[in-house]
Amino acid sequence: MRHDYIDRYARLDTPVHRLPSWCKLLAAVIMLVWTVVTPPSETWYFGGCALFLILAVIVARLPIGFVALRLLTLEPLVIGVAVLALLQPGGVAVMLRILLKSNLCLLTVVLLSNTTPFADILRVLRSLRVPSLLVTILALMYRYVFLLIDQAERMSRARESRTFTLRRAGRWRVAAGVVSQLFVRSTERAERIYAAMTARGWES
Amino acid sequence: MKALEVSSLSYSYPDGKPALRDVSLYADEGECVGIIGPNGAGKSTLLLHLNGILPEDERPRGEVRVCGSPVTPGSLREVHRLVGLLFQDPDDQLFCPTVYEDVAFGPSQFGLPQGEIPRIVAEALRQVGLEGFERRSPHHLSGGEKQRVCLAGILACQPRVLVLDEPTSDLDPRGRRELASLIRNLGATRIIASHDLELVVDLCSRVYLLDGGEVITSGPSAEILSNEPLMLAHGLEKPHSLQHRHPHS
Repeated sequence: MRHDYIDRYARLDTPVHRLPSWCKLLAAVIMLVWTVVTPPSETWYFGGCALFLILAVIVARLPIGFVALRLLTLEPLVIGVAVLALLQPGGVAVMLRILLKSNLCLLTVVLLSNTTPFADILRVLRSLRVPSLLVTILALMYRYVFLLIDQAERMSRARESRTFTLRRAGRWRVAAGVVSQLFVRSTERAERIYAAMTARGWES
Repeated sequence: MKALEVSSLSYSYPDGKPALRDVSLYADEGECVGIIGPNGAGKSTLLLHLNGILPEDERPRGEVRVCGSPVTPGSLREVHRLVGLLFQDPDDQLFCPTVYEDVAFGPSQFGLPQGEIPRIVAEALRQVGLEGFERRSPHHLSGGEKQRVCLAGILACQPRVLVLDEPTSDLDPRGRRELASLIRNLGATRIIASHDLELVVDLCSRVYLLDGGEVITSGPSAEILSNEPLMLAHGLEKPHSLQHRHPHS
């Protein structure tokens, strides 16, 4: 169960965790939108925003190392996009802007997901009349992502234990095999889940 | 009136491979019936017919009757309600983010009054001995706990017939023992498909032996399961608890 890191601290009991879920979700959404649309010249906003988020992390007693690790895990994507920005005129400024904004957004999301159980977020979405199909898909995704990670780990471990040469090409082939197997198994599981839902009265 | 009656049911997989051939069986009200057979005998396929999930579209050959009325496309909703199906892999069945929502899924789909649902969920969880698990998420439960939550999710629909597919296959001995005593004490009619022959001997009064999609034989559990040549011929074995006991004693 190495993968419970996704929302390991969502069920702590601190002032931040005790805030109503809708309140946290609303604040997070406003902050995300605001961060994206604010021009980068407004340094006071970004400074304040960063300070606020860091304070919230401290009050919520999330270990700083854990939060940093979560950010780092997602960083390759951010850096990838930021580096692409270098190709245009004035690229350095754009890159810095992307780095700043994305990291603030990521921090917001990491903070939200580790102070609010996902089931509560879903409940808020449902009460906000978000289309139920969308909420159902989110719920199923959250439920099965752990299983999928588990299965992928077991399969690649099993493959690796029978792989004796460690050449790069061989590795890629192993990874491709795992991905395709995972796809097939997930499709089959999806069918079984659908049967289980139907058995308890689900009508699509 | 039989709680469940299957008469001359046949079914082929979409690729044309026959899965069930002329299967007939029944279960009396409150009875516990076992279905045994090797891998690929058609047990799971048969169970999916018992609450109308199969056949998907084509007209069935043969008939399934639940509490006296035949399973037809129009009666599916009622059939899903009357027949509770416990799937082999608890992870397929626990699809909600929390235990509470999962147990409440059936009752809310079947349109039970919203105000009643918390009470029904609490009662179902109490029946399986998992009070206070409401807010837990399924991926933090042990195998035995998952299986019991699945059972609670079905009990919450208040079915007349319980159909269990390999209920003990993922459990450790303690989980298995607890589940067995839970099943034994349920009042509903029960159909158990399993390789766990000790469980079948322990719980079921009668068994059907299925192989190659056909019912090979049926009769009192102790009598069928202690027939060693028969068991071996169909990929099973005589349970230890019957090794030194005469079937009719």
